[in-house]
Amino acid sequence: MFKISNLTVSIDDKEILKNFGIEVGPGEVHAIMGPNGSGKSTLAHVCAGKEEYTVLSGNVVLNDEELLEMEPEERSTRGLFLAFQYPIEIPGVTTMTFLKSSLEAHYKANGREPLTTPEFMKYVKSKATELNIDDSMIKRPLNVGFSGGEKKRNEILQMALLDPKICILDETDSGLDIDALRLVAEGVNKLRNDNRSFIVITHYQRLLDYIKPDFVHIMHDGKIIQTGDSSLALDLEKSGYANYIK
Amino acid sequence: MLKKDISQELQSYCREYFFSQDKNSKLYNIRLGAYELFKINGLPNSKDENWKYTNISQKIDTIPEYSNNLPVPLNINNFINNFDIMKKLKETNDTVLVFMDGSLQRQLSIIDPNKKNIEISSLNEDVPDWALEIISDKHSENSDQIFDINTILMQDGALINIKQNKEKVDNVYIVHVGNNNGFFNYRHVINIEQGARANIIELKISNRIDINALYTSSIIWKLADNCIVNNVKYQSHNQLTVGFNQQYADIGNNVEFNSFTISSGSKLLREYRSINCNGSGSDVSISGINLLDGDSHIDTFLLVKHIAPNTTSREKYKSILNDRSRGVFQGNIIVDPEAQKTLAKQSIDALILSDKAEHDAKPELEIYADDVQCGHGATTGQISEDSLFYLKSRGIPEEEAKTLLVQAFLLEALDEVKDKNTILIFSDVMKNILNRVSKGSLNV
Repeated sequence: MFKISNLTVSIDDKEILKNFGIEVGPGEVHAIMGPNGSGKSTLAHVCAGKEEYTVLSGNVVLNDEELLEMEPEERSTRGLFLAFQYPIEIPGVTTMTFLKSSLEAHYKANGREPLTTPEFMKYVKSKATELNIDDSMIKRPLNVGFSGGEKKRNEILQMALLDPKICILDETDSGLDIDALRLVAEGVNKLRNDNRSFIVITHYQRLLDYIKPDFVHIMHDGKIIQTGDSSLALDLEKSGYANYIK
Repeated sequence: MLKKDISQELQSYCREYFFSQDKNSKLYNIRLGAYELFKINGLPNSKDENWKYTNISQKIDTIPEYSNNLPVPLNINNFINNFDIMKKLKETNDTVLVFMDGSLQRQLSIIDPNKKNIEISSLNEDVPDWALEIISDKHSENSDQIFDINTILMQDGALINIKQNKEKVDNVYIVHVGNNNGFFNYRHVINIEQGARANIIELKISNRIDINALYTSSIIWKLADNCIVNNVKYQSHNQLTVGFNQQYADIGNNVEFNSFTISSGSKLLREYRSINCNGSGSDVSISGINLLDGDSHIDTFLLVKHIAPNTTSREKYKSILNDRSRGVFQGNIIVDPEAQKTLAKQSIDALILSDKAEHDAKPELEIYADDVQCGHGATTGQISEDSLFYLKSRGIPEEEAKTLLVQAFLLEALDEVKDKNTILIFSDVMKNILNRVSKGSLNV
């Protein structure tokens, strides 16, 4: 379904990802854990198509299509969703305008008729209710003045609306208190289904108490050094990364 | 061939014009005072701190000669066919004053003599005492070379007195149309009496893209206690026009003055504003959007003086620069020792779309009172790559994402417009501008 193979990526002539590989099947949740500087956020950004990185080799394939050749917007409409660690604040663009533009782009790319404004509003409301998200935030400028929790909930709402096939959550737990974390995790759990896969990038085991992964990978120095089930995360929490990093 | 010096040319132009004036005219002594000053001071140059970033002689070779190629239309119906905005205005009950080729064109204007609370006269026809007093007062306290030139050469202008009107807010349009090549000088006086409310909307447009016009235009505002004034200005000139706009405003107690300007085009445009918050409790907002492309140069200079206690001022300007254009913003807020509890904010943001464009910002605060809140900020940058990536990562195509970001940048300034109706007339123009901006072209 989603496969990254032999991915080597550099920035400013420094290699960050080194022959990185992972394979995610339909409906699977993979957690990637690792210390600071191991390349986790780079991985997320490269998959989504951020320009500042140089891809030296490798493939990122979603449902038999090579994503690395595509612009970020095309990757999105093909079904990749990146939940940002730090969602960007954009004054002057209301969340509603943003969501509508985004959804219209997706519908257009996939040959669907665009929603009318009332249909769109109804759709947003239904998704927000499903996820226990207060939809009043959509009237406000995008992420401006949002609390950490609101920003992440907004990311989850976008995820629900765009109906992606593979979601990469880049340290979604950072900056969240325990209640906000639970709410966001519940949102993700509601979006889990047999066809949608997740890569959950995190520093801490805490998030994995709420989002149960099928696989846990430890990433260090640009590659995966250990893979296991959810018990690996618990071990890691007890013993720290030092035991795994030789 | 010896290159003409614009400063000398202007000196002799002013001398000739001044000596052609009737010594018995009401404005003679005021012109004389300005002429004496201009003889000494001449044109400002880059050694003058207020003109550091704008070199007039680089932008004007010579005074354009008057060309009578396009006759002034004889009736309004011929005129409005060329201007959609005028068509809309004709359908309203508003007051419309059209200036063309240096004078008020009454046949193109809409002036209802039955409106008892609005008095309108033309500077060229008769100067009532109240207007003479305002002009005279402003001249005695001011020392700006361009204002002196405007005073020597003022040909015509609207002298508008608005009295309190409880029924409805009056809309008054002052329309300047660049119709022929030439050098034109306008002086308007707007007096808003105590408790009156008014919307003053200025429109400056070029009739053709090849008109070579040089103009100076000054407005002196006097806003009495408790009045509410919304002022919107839209000026869209061709790439040959050089314009010097000056506005002086004296603000009384508990006044709301909300002013918004959209400027685009021009070879050189100098926007000078000096606002005196003389009375307490007033609230002043001066904001605008500048759109520059080609070789346009727009220099905005704002001076806000807080003289009385408890006054508020906000200045918010957004500029978009493309091609080889240059934007200059100088903003000075002065808080006098008596002006305690002043709230003053200034923000100047520029978005640069080309690596050959330049924006210079010089925000200044001079605070002599101790219990005030003043702030200023200036940013100059390009479209944020992070914002662009965020939008694209949600499927929004690059061009659309850029449009959203540019619109967002500009529309933030529009938040300052208090009475959104005053800007509705420009909604088509705004849409058009935003579309052009998103395609990377601001050409008028």
